[in-house]
Amino acid sequence: MWAAEDPHFPPTVDEFFPPAIAGPFVTKFTILVWLAVGILIIFYLLAYRKPKMVPTRMQWLAESVYGFNRDNVANQMIGHEGVRFAAYFTTLFSFILLTNLFGIIPGIQMSTNSHIAFPIVLAIISYVMFIYIGVRKYGFGAYFKKALLPPAPWYVLPLLIPIEFFSTFLVRPVTLSLRLFANMFAGHMILAVFTLGGFVLLQSTWLLKPVAILSFAMAIALTFLEFLVIILQAYIFVILTSSYVGGALAEEH
Amino acid sequence: MAGDRSPKHPRDEGKPAPGANQAWAAISYLIGGILVWGFAGWLVDRWLDTGGIATAIGAVVGAAGGVLLIARRLGR
Repeated sequence: MWAAEDPHFPPTVDEFFPPAIAGPFVTKFTILVWLAVGILIIFYLLAYRKPKMVPTRMQWLAESVYGFNRDNVANQMIGHEGVRFAAYFTTLFSFILLTNLFGIIPGIQMSTNSHIAFPIVLAIISYVMFIYIGVRKYGFGAYFKKALLPPAPWYVLPLLIPIEFFSTFLVRPVTLSLRLFANMFAGHMILAVFTLGGFVLLQSTWLLKPVAILSFAMAIALTFLEFLVIILQAYIFVILTSSYVGGALAEEH
Repeated sequence: MAGDRSPKHPRDEGKPAPGANQAWAAISYLIGGILVWGFAGWLVDRWLDTGGIATAIGAVVGAAGGVLLIARRLGR
C-alpha cells in the first residue's frame, strides 16, 4: 500500500516499455542493440587484427568462440558443408549471448531479447535462411517436395503432409522466437520481483525486515541461475538454427 | 537410448549428431500432429455440432500420424 508509490512493487509489463529518449524510435532497447553491435565489431576487429601464433587473451577468446561454433555447432549439425555457415553462427551466438548478458549486468539490467520484437527478427532471419538454402540447393519444387513428403505409403500422406507443414514451416519460427523471449522476460521478472520485493520488505514492519535479507539472497542466487540460462539460450538458438539449415541441406536417405 | 553408448565408429566423425535436434523434431511432430488434426476435428465439431467427439478422434489420429512421422523420418 504505502510501498506502492516508490519502488513500483509488483513489477508490471511497463518495465519493458521504457520511455523514448530521442524521438519515438530511440529507447533503451535501441541503444543497447547499437551498443552490442558496436562492442562485437570492435571486439572481433581487435582480436583478429594482428593474429599471433601464441594468442593474446582477446584473440584466444575470439578464437574459442569461433572454434566452438565451427566444430561443435556447424560441423556437428550440418557436416562438412557446415564450415560455410560458421561465421554466421558465431555472429548469431555472440549477439544473443551479449544482448542476453545485458540482462544481468548491473546498471543495464535489461536484455533486449526480453522484448519480443528482437527474438522475432532473429527467428525470421533463421527461417528465411534455412528455406532459402534448401531452395537454392534443390530448387523450389524439389525442396518443398523433400520437406513435405515423408517416406510413407501414399494413403497416409494426406494425414502426414499437414503435420509436416505445421511443424516445419509454422512451429519453427514461433518456438525459436518465443523460447528466447520467454526465458529472458521471465528471468528479468524474477530478478525484479526479488530485488524490489527486498526493498518493499525493508520498508515494512520490523517483523518482516529480516525477510528482506532472504529476498536479496534469492536475487543473488537467481542471478547465477540467470547466467546459466543466458548461455544456454544463446546455445540453443544457434544449435536449432544449424539443425534447420542441416535439415534443409540433408540428402534424402 | 541415452544410457547405452555404442563405441564410436570412425565413419561417424563429422556426421550430424543425433540428440538435441532429433528430440526437438520428435516433440514437434507429436504435438504438431495432435494440434493440426485436433483442430480439424474441432472445426468439424463446430460444423456438425457433435460435441467434442470429432476433436477427440482428430487428436488421436493426429498423434498416430505424428508417431508414424517420427518413425519414418527419424527412426533409422
